[in-house]
Amino acid sequence: MIIRKYLFDRLREFDWGYLGLAILLSSSGLLAIYSIEVQQDSSSGYFLRQSIWSVLGLVLFFGVYFLPRKVIHNLAYYAYGVGVVLLLIPIALKQGGTVSRWISIGSFGIQPSEFMKIFLLVALAKYFADHKRKLSTIKELMAPFAMTIGPTILVLLQPDLGTALVFLGIFIVVIFWAGIRPLYFFLLLTPIVSMIAAFQTVSFFVWMVLIIVILYFSNMPFWTKVFNFIINVALGGITNLLWALLKPYQQQRILSLIDSDSDPLGAGYQVSQSLTAFGSGGPFGKGFGEGTQTHLKFLPEQHTDFIMTVIGEEFGFLGVMIVITLFYFLIARLINHSYGSKYRFDSVILIGVAAVMVFHVFVNLAMIVGIMPVTGLPLPYISYGGSFMVTAMMMVGLSANMASVRRMTR
Amino acid sequence: MLQGKNIVEGWRSYLVQGLLLLLFLILIGRYYYLMIVFHEKYAEKATANHIRAIPVLASRGVIYDRDGNIIVDNAPSYTISVIPVEIKNKPESLDRLSEIMQVSVKEINRRIVKNRRGSFAPAKVFSRVPFPKISLLQEHRLELAGVTYSIEPIRNYVSDIDLSHALGYTREINRDDLERFSKDLDYQPGDQVGWKGIEKYYDSELHGQRGFRYIEVNALGQEIGEIVDRRPINPVPGHDLILSIDSFIQSITEKALADSSGSVVILNHETGEILAYASRPSYDLEMLSGRISSKDWNALRKNPRNPLFDRGVQGLYPAGSTLKPLAALYSLENLSNARDRTYTCRGSYRLGNRSFGCWKKAGHGKVDLHEAIQQSCNVYFFNLIQDIGLEDWAHLAREFGFGQLTGIDIPGENKGLVPDTKYMNRKYGEKKWTKGNLLNIVVGQGDVLVTPLQLAQFAGMLAQRGFQYQPHFVNKIVSKSGEIIRVNSKQAEKRVIASDESWAFMHKAMWAVVNGPHGTAKAARQKDWEIYGKTGTAQNPHGEDHAWFIGFSLDERYPFAWAVLLENGGGGGGKAAPLIGRILRSIARKDL
Repeated sequence: MIIRKYLFDRLREFDWGYLGLAILLSSSGLLAIYSIEVQQDSSSGYFLRQSIWSVLGLVLFFGVYFLPRKVIHNLAYYAYGVGVVLLLIPIALKQGGTVSRWISIGSFGIQPSEFMKIFLLVALAKYFADHKRKLSTIKELMAPFAMTIGPTILVLLQPDLGTALVFLGIFIVVIFWAGIRPLYFFLLLTPIVSMIAAFQTVSFFVWMVLIIVILYFSNMPFWTKVFNFIINVALGGITNLLWALLKPYQQQRILSLIDSDSDPLGAGYQVSQSLTAFGSGGPFGKGFGEGTQTHLKFLPEQHTDFIMTVIGEEFGFLGVMIVITLFYFLIARLINHSYGSKYRFDSVILIGVAAVMVFHVFVNLAMIVGIMPVTGLPLPYISYGGSFMVTAMMMVGLSANMASVRRMTR
Repeated sequence: MLQGKNIVEGWRSYLVQGLLLLLFLILIGRYYYLMIVFHEKYAEKATANHIRAIPVLASRGVIYDRDGNIIVDNAPSYTISVIPVEIKNKPESLDRLSEIMQVSVKEINRRIVKNRRGSFAPAKVFSRVPFPKISLLQEHRLELAGVTYSIEPIRNYVSDIDLSHALGYTREINRDDLERFSKDLDYQPGDQVGWKGIEKYYDSELHGQRGFRYIEVNALGQEIGEIVDRRPINPVPGHDLILSIDSFIQSITEKALADSSGSVVILNHETGEILAYASRPSYDLEMLSGRISSKDWNALRKNPRNPLFDRGVQGLYPAGSTLKPLAALYSLENLSNARDRTYTCRGSYRLGNRSFGCWKKAGHGKVDLHEAIQQSCNVYFFNLIQDIGLEDWAHLAREFGFGQLTGIDIPGENKGLVPDTKYMNRKYGEKKWTKGNLLNIVVGQGDVLVTPLQLAQFAGMLAQRGFQYQPHFVNKIVSKSGEIIRVNSKQAEKRVIASDESWAFMHKAMWAVVNGPHGTAKAARQKDWEIYGKTGTAQNPHGEDHAWFIGFSLDERYPFAWAVLLENGGGGGGKAAPLIGRILRSIARKDL
């Protein structure tokens, strides 16, 4: 009886927005994958499999939606623990020095790192809900930082730079949302900027001057300021060392951003062919199934990371704008709901999902047109890939759950 | 604490919303720039990406003899290439190819590196592959990923006549020629162009125009299919040439020359058509068509007998006594009492303290002009030239085409040398040359240099009483559809003016050379038709004398004029005259 009432209430409160956006976006993805497949001699089976994953994703969307908040809250840390164990499995099973991103279950594999995104943001939400703090000291950041850095290191071992950056992205957005002081936030971000600036002498020098100025006007103890400054200089200094530790293909991905012609058949080749696909698509595209770049296999990984090139080439600027607008609505909705949530737990989950979405959408859409390094991040709902499709569906299911009208009363 | 309140400040939300908007505006701006502003540029790039124009070679014109028998046509030649990028992924293909072709993988790899034009473009590894190997390749094509073959037309020498020097050969066009030709003609890298002979001279007619078909390729450069909305451009085949060469005469001429070094040119003096043209030693055109190994090429080039040298138009020789008719004709026209003048030959002629010998050491005794021509008496002409100025002699020689190009339709002709006063002054200094030089010149020695073709033309003009017909190899140029593109003129272009009596005298004297009791060329005599001629024995500072025989027939069935040269062949009467005698006998026998 109680359960029936709960389910009834949940259905009454149901937020059609998330479901609608998720269905529209995954339909666009299926259309693009179908376009790739329809022209190929032998069926790759991508369309069928992605359809199955989408349906499974929808089932899990409702599964997560109907999950009582209390259960989610209670199980958050356990789920996080399971996620870490799943991340450890490929490392434990590593063969011949290579770590797989996949755990094989029968004939298909799952990517534990995708599910870890949900587990991490729910765990962070629980932490911030349970510790009702305004994050006024650095010490209070230690636990959430530890929660984030663990999985980050594990995915870096795979090595999966993109997902590692997503984890860090979730952390940065969540602590900002949780109320970190702007100065602390700035200090937290400085090491990252220092490392990037260290690639070039002049920019590093300018950045260091900026840090000195800001530290000078801040009201921290003198030695804290000095310590902070030294950390930044040291980080800049060891950036080259870290650079040398990157895998050559990772270095190449970053380098090819700077000069996309430097490696015509590597990452630069991908981007160059991708630009051609988009540019030749023009305002309205070449029409469904007519993309020459797509069907003549000029684009590697066209069904995964470069899926948008199919939409760009065949449906033009108009098609791209529709997809971008849908993503904007989805993310803006998440942020609005997050701000409007009555409870902190809901709010952090919503902003965490928004962070994951922004990160994936922006990095993917930017890298395929050459304004970000090719980091290998798929586009939610659209790129081919079962684990991420399911994860993304679960994330919006979770968001719909958290954003239920009832609690949007602030 | 599930009931913990949300404490996010408004400014954080606005900042995050603002940042989101900024990021999306950046994206929109970038996509707008790419897809709207630069659409044209990328559209072109996408087209270039996937459309390839594949050249379709035009077939080269066929060369026929005068009777329409094929001398040269085209045959398919198979070329095997590999696509480097595909071989890289499938090295076992090379092992299989190596087995089939019986060539080591190392050698194949060396050729790939040598002919590589990029990872996706086929690199030639074997050319002129025999068909059975291609069948084998077809059978095993599944194990030969990245190995392709193509068919190119190459020259096919159908006829058993040799005619190498006149026909010439084709070669793949080189960069220089490409720059030179491409101004007015459609030549592309990889085209075969005429390199020597008729193939070169008539290349623009023979060449044709390549066509294109448009195919769609994928990122690996693999063919997907024809492009439907882009019509292929069909190749225009080259025009056919109908030569003046008579295969029968050519064939017996080649047989008659056999292994000697020398040249025979037989032409129709009524038209200028070249009926037979041989230069020996010769070379195998088959070997030079398409690709020749550098070893074979060097062997040809360094052969001391110089087979690549076209003696008929490039070889410069002293003419010897074959030039005596020049002075004879001059005297008939310009000196008083010329036909009755007699000189006594005692075997040599003294000029100052030098002695100039006649070929007959015992001397010819008292000879007139007729006898002097028939017996080729040097002393008579030594005397005669005393009354002729060098300038006048040289003028007449030039009128007969010596010292200038005949304009024959093959490239590389030499114009020879007719020494005149200006030339002698330049060479020896003014007044430094003497009557002695003149004595050599009048008997075709000294500075005089002629080609066999020039002498054949000379013989023809004597036959035609001074009318000159342009010697030529090609009678007609005909398009593949049968349209006649060009007919080489059969009209006389020039004439050396002399009286009928003079011509008649010359003919009679030259008849006597062959038919007279003391004639030097009795071996050229024919049973039922009249042969006219003049022998020559050209002294050669480098070795034994060159044997010459020039002549003609006025028989209406056989309006032939010829020049025969046998390098180091000794006496003209002894070697050259019998050779043409054999050829003429074969011609007559065939017509019986």
